[in-house]
Amino acid sequence: MVSASAYVPAIVLLPFVSFIVALFGREYLPKRGAFGGIAATAGSLGLSLWVLLSVRNGAAFQETYYTWTTGAGAQDWTLTFGALIDPLSALMLVIVSVVATLVHIFSLGYMNDEDERDLPRYYAGLGLFTASMLGFVIADNLLMAFMFFELVGLCSYLLIGFHFREPGPPSAAKKAFLVTRFGDYFFLVGVVAVFTTFGTAAFAGAESFPALAEAALNGEATVWTPGGLAESTWFTIVGLLVLGGVIGKSAQFPLHTWLPDAMEGPTPVSALIHAATMVAAGVYLVARMYGFYVLSPTTMAIIAFVGGFTALFAATMGVVKRELKQVLAYSTISQYGYMMLALGSGGYVAAVFHLTTHAFFKALLFLGAGSVIIAMHHNEDMWEMGGLKDKLPVTYWTFLAGSLALAGIFPFAGFWSKDEILYEALIHGLDEPLILAAYVMGLLAVPVTAFYTFRMVFLTFHGEPRSSLARDPHPVRWNIKGPLSVLGVLAVVTGGINLVPVKKVLGIKGIDYLHLWLDNHWGGIEGLSSHHYAELNPYSSQYLFGGEVPTVLAGAAVSLGLALGGLALAWALYNVADPDEHTDKLGGIKELLYNNYYQDEFQVWVADNTRAVAGSADIFDQGVIDGVVNGVSSVSLLSSERIRRIQSGVVSNYALLLTLGLTTLLVVFGLLGGWF
Amino acid sequence: MVPPTYYLVLSAAVFCIGLFGILTRRNALYFLMSAELMLNAAVINLVAFSFQWGNLTGQTFALFVIALAAAEVAVGIGIVLVLYRNFGEIDVLSADSMRW
Repeated sequence: MVSASAYVPAIVLLPFVSFIVALFGREYLPKRGAFGGIAATAGSLGLSLWVLLSVRNGAAFQETYYTWTTGAGAQDWTLTFGALIDPLSALMLVIVSVVATLVHIFSLGYMNDEDERDLPRYYAGLGLFTASMLGFVIADNLLMAFMFFELVGLCSYLLIGFHFREPGPPSAAKKAFLVTRFGDYFFLVGVVAVFTTFGTAAFAGAESFPALAEAALNGEATVWTPGGLAESTWFTIVGLLVLGGVIGKSAQFPLHTWLPDAMEGPTPVSALIHAATMVAAGVYLVARMYGFYVLSPTTMAIIAFVGGFTALFAATMGVVKRELKQVLAYSTISQYGYMMLALGSGGYVAAVFHLTTHAFFKALLFLGAGSVIIAMHHNEDMWEMGGLKDKLPVTYWTFLAGSLALAGIFPFAGFWSKDEILYEALIHGLDEPLILAAYVMGLLAVPVTAFYTFRMVFLTFHGEPRSSLARDPHPVRWNIKGPLSVLGVLAVVTGGINLVPVKKVLGIKGIDYLHLWLDNHWGGIEGLSSHHYAELNPYSSQYLFGGEVPTVLAGAAVSLGLALGGLALAWALYNVADPDEHTDKLGGIKELLYNNYYQDEFQVWVADNTRAVAGSADIFDQGVIDGVVNGVSSVSLLSSERIRRIQSGVVSNYALLLTLGLTTLLVVFGLLGGWF
Repeated sequence: MVPPTYYLVLSAAVFCIGLFGILTRRNALYFLMSAELMLNAAVINLVAFSFQWGNLTGQTFALFVIALAAAEVAVGIGIVLVLYRNFGEIDVLSADSMRW
C-alpha cells in the first residue's frame, strides 16, 4: 500500500502550484483562478485527512527532504528542509486545509460575484498564503519554520493590501508587515542563538534542541552559553527572543496593533488570517517547541501573563467598536491571549484544543460577517444594520452558533476549550501568583467576551432595521451558505473531541480524544507528547474544595455563569427594537477604549522618539553597506569607460594591438621558458 | 644543399614585410597584398621543413594554403568593393564607424 508519508510534500506543493497557475494564467482561468485554488486546497485537505488517519495508525514520522548547507569544522551545522508529522502537525494540517478550502469557496461569492477587479492576484495570494502556512506546519526545524513564518507574513501583506488603489489598505498592510517584522527580528536572533547554543534547530529526536536543553539542565550534556551564563538563564533569554516573533504574529500585547487595521483586507482573507494561518502561526510555534519553553518557568510565566492580560485588554476594546469586523478583530486578539495563557500555565492540550475550536468558530464568524457585509453592500457599521435575522436565516443561525461558541456557552465548542484553559490556569496558578493573576484576567475577560459578542449579534440581526440597506439586503448564494453551514456544524460539535470535564465528573473513560491524541496514545514521536511536557511542567497542581471533581465543576460553573451574565446584560441592553448606544454612558472610558488605549499613538510616539537610532542605522546602511556596493560598481563603470576607448574602429590599430600582443606573449613565453 | 636556416630567414623577412605593409598602408589593396605576403611566408616555412625532414605533408599543406589564399583574395576583393561603394574610397581609416 502507498503510504501517506510520501504525499506530505504534495500537501504544501498543491496550493503553491495554484499560486503559480493563478500568477501566470491571469484572466484566462475559469472563474479567474478560483477553481484552481479550490481544487488545490481540496486536494491538500484530502491528503491531510489521509495523513491524520495514518498518524492515527501509528505512522508519525520525521524525514529530511533536502539539505541545502552542510557546515564544516567546528560549525558542523546542517540546514535542511524536512517534514515532522506527529499528532500536533497532522491535526494542524487538517485545520488549515479545511479553513483554506472553505475560504476559497466563500471567495467565489465574496469576490467573484461582486465583480472585484484583478482576481487572479487575489487567488495567487491565497494559494501562496495557504502553501506557506502548510509548510510552516510541517516544518521539522526552527530555521525552516522561520522561513515559512516570514512567507506567511509576506502573504498577509499582499492580501491585506489587495485593494491597493484605496488609501486605507496599503497603509494597513504596511503596518501589519512592519509590526510583525519587529517581532520577527527577535525571532531571527533567537534562531541564531539556538544554532550557536545547540548546533541544531531540529524539533524532534534525541539530537533536537529541546532534548539537548533538557539534558543540559539535568547536567547530562554541555552546551555553549555566552560568557558562562547559567544554562537556565540563557534558555530563558533564547525562549523570550523566539517569543518576540510569536507575540508579533499572534498579535499579543504590545504588538497587537496591526491586527485591527488588517481588517482593511477582503473579509475571506481576514477569516484565513485569524482562523488558520497568520495569527495561528505564533501559537502553533510555541506548541511546536513546547518542550523547550516548558523548561523555563520564567518564560512560561511571562507567556501566561501576557496571554491573560491580552485576553482581557483586547476584550474591553471590543465592547465599544461600531464596526462588525473590528469587534471580531479584538475578539481574535483576546482568544489568542487565552491560548497563550493556556500554554504558559502548562495547559498544552488546552491550548491546542482552543486553537482547533477557535479556528472553526472564528472562520465561521468572519465568513458570516462577510455574508452580512455583502448583504449590506459593504457597509460594516453595526448601527446601520438590525433586523437581518429574517432576511438572512442561514447566516443568522450559523453566526449565532459561532457567537455562542466564542462566548463560551455550553455545549458549544468554545465552552469546552475555554473552560479547560481556565481550569489548567486555575489548578497550576494556586501556588503561582503570576499565573493566578493571569487566570483572574482570563476569567474577567469571559463576561466581557460574552457581552461584546452578543452586542454584535443583537445589533446586527435583531431589532428593527436602522437603514434602508438593512431593510433590503442583497441576497447571498450557495457559495456563501455552504461554507457557513459546514463551519456552523463544526462550531457546534468540535467540543466533542475533548470532553475532559465529562470524563472527570462522570468517570467515562476514553472520551478525551484530543488528550489521548496528543499524548501519543496512537503513536507519535518520542519526546513530543503532552505526557512528556506534563513531566517537565514546572507547576504543581492544587485543587479547590479538596478534589479534582469539585474544582472542575466550580471552574466550569464560574466561567459559564460569567459568560451567561455577560450575555444577559447584552440581551437586556441591546435585544430591543431600537437599541441605544449604552456604552456612551462610559464617557471618558469609552473614548479611551474606542481609541484602543491610545496604543497606536503611543507606538507612533515611540517611533518618533527613536528617530535618532533609525537615522544612524540609515546612515550606516546608505553610507557603509550601499557605499561598498556602489563603490564596486562605480570602479567597474569608470574603468570600462576608459578601456572601451581602445575600440577605435580603425583596422590598423587592431592589427597593431594584435601584433603587440603576440610579441608580448612571445617575449613572456621566451623569458619564462628560458629560450634566451 | 642550402641549410633550412636560410629559408627561415627568408620567410621571416617576407612575413615582416607583409606585417609592415598592414601596419603602415592605408590603401585596402595594399592590405590585401600584404596579407598575401604573410601567407606566403608561412608557405615557405612549410615547404622548407617538408624538405628538411623529407616528409610530403608540408608540401601538401602548402597547396592547401595557396588554394586558401585564392579564396581569401576573392573575399578580400569583395570587401574592398563594398568599402568603395559605401565610403567612396578604399582608405581603411575611413571605415571607422563601428567603435565605442
